[in-house]
Amino acid sequence: MKTPWQIMTAGDWLVVLLLLGISFTGLLWVATTAEGTRVVVTSGGQTSFTAPLNQPRTVDLDGPLGQTHLVIDNQGARITGSPCPRKICISMGTAKQTGDLLACVPNRILVRIDSPVGEEAAYDLLSR
Amino acid sequence: MSWNRPLIIGLLVVLLAMTWWRLHPAEEEIRRSQLLMGTVVEIVAGGQAIESLESAVDAAFAEIARLDKLLSRYHQTSEVTRLAESARGSKVSVETMEVIALGLDVAQRSGGAFDLTLGKLKALWGFDQETPTVPDHAALSIALNGIGPRALSLQGQQVNKRAPQLQVDLGGIAKGYAVDRAIAVLKEHGVVSAAVNAGGDMYLLGQRPGRAWRIGIQHPRQTETVLETVQVHDQAVVTSGDYERFFEQDGVRYHHIFDPKTGLPARGCQSVTIIADSVALADALATAVFVLGPEAGLQLLTEYPQAEGLIVAADGTLHSSPGWARYRVAP
Repeated sequence: MKTPWQIMTAGDWLVVLLLLGISFTGLLWVATTAEGTRVVVTSGGQTSFTAPLNQPRTVDLDGPLGQTHLVIDNQGARITGSPCPRKICISMGTAKQTGDLLACVPNRILVRIDSPVGEEAAYDLLSR
Repeated sequence: MSWNRPLIIGLLVVLLAMTWWRLHPAEEEIRRSQLLMGTVVEIVAGGQAIESLESAVDAAFAEIARLDKLLSRYHQTSEVTRLAESARGSKVSVETMEVIALGLDVAQRSGGAFDLTLGKLKALWGFDQETPTVPDHAALSIALNGIGPRALSLQGQQVNKRAPQLQVDLGGIAKGYAVDRAIAVLKEHGVVSAAVNAGGDMYLLGQRPGRAWRIGIQHPRQTETVLETVQVHDQAVVTSGDYERFFEQDGVRYHHIFDPKTGLPARGCQSVTIIADSVALADALATAVFVLGPEAGLQLLTEYPQAEGLIVAADGTLHSSPGWARYRVAP
């Protein structure tokens, strides 16, 4: 004999469909808005530029000393021109993996490679 | 088997909860960077709610900024500047005393390979200037006059200088000490998983979710290559290399890690990585081992059981202390 809990009414199905719909919409939203690996530039503590790492481009970043020239290509992101005196930022090479950092301290420019939470990289930080 | 309504509803609620968790995870990771102590300081923290992480990280940055004002020779009001200007020495804070005490210990055990009194020498080479130059022999002799492991002494919080012209430079250890203090602040705020990285001087607190921290070590001659990857938790990792700051003159590469005996760049190594229980110690040992070279450097490390090292010698060969292998991640 069926108990009242084993009877699925039209209202029950409505609740089921509603919950399924909410879950599916939420997951679809996450899937469509999740970003890939990105280049994030901060200047003076504020994010001044961000772009996908897989889209080649060049960009001039404004700092107190002038413009720092950033190149993003299939190698990664690197600084190729800077108004700073010692050009240490240029000699830092290419940032390509999550957590990699480039910095021009005199021109207050920070370039970081960021990935969505949970994406695994070969290492978390680079010691150099 | 008939469908059970409570079971279906229960499963759907679980699905909804998982969706909610995916959209709004209670525990996340934050990553913040600031330009402090003349370098990039990055703090990554996780394992608890974002709000509490934010306040902990803010406090850690504030602590580094406070120590920068105390320990930097670039701040006119710092204790290091005051020490440089005084003829005989001065009384310092507990923090400065701790840095100098550790520095003097490494200086003495390394036979002077690590030195806290290279302020004049560093200014002479001008690595902080636009155009560093190779000094002549006479200028080097003057800059090295009176330096050494016994040039400074501590009596409680009183620092005594052996010669008035000595210029203290804590650059080889202050950043590491600041990272140690930042980690202490994070711990006081209950943070159990974090990394503090000040221009390559880093401490890895706790674990990442499910595993230790993985740290790539820069290859000293191939900027695109990672030499090795190590796995650590609750440890410091510091690398000193001749590729960090250098210039070339007449076909010769001059870098910023000086041998206090000659006043010239040390030539025994390309890079040295130290894993130790504090960043300040790892910082000082990385410099000392670099100056000593592979053989004497590994000998020095035997005096510090809490430290292990990986050395890339000048000829590119790899040398490591016996305990290094336990940190190495198989390629």
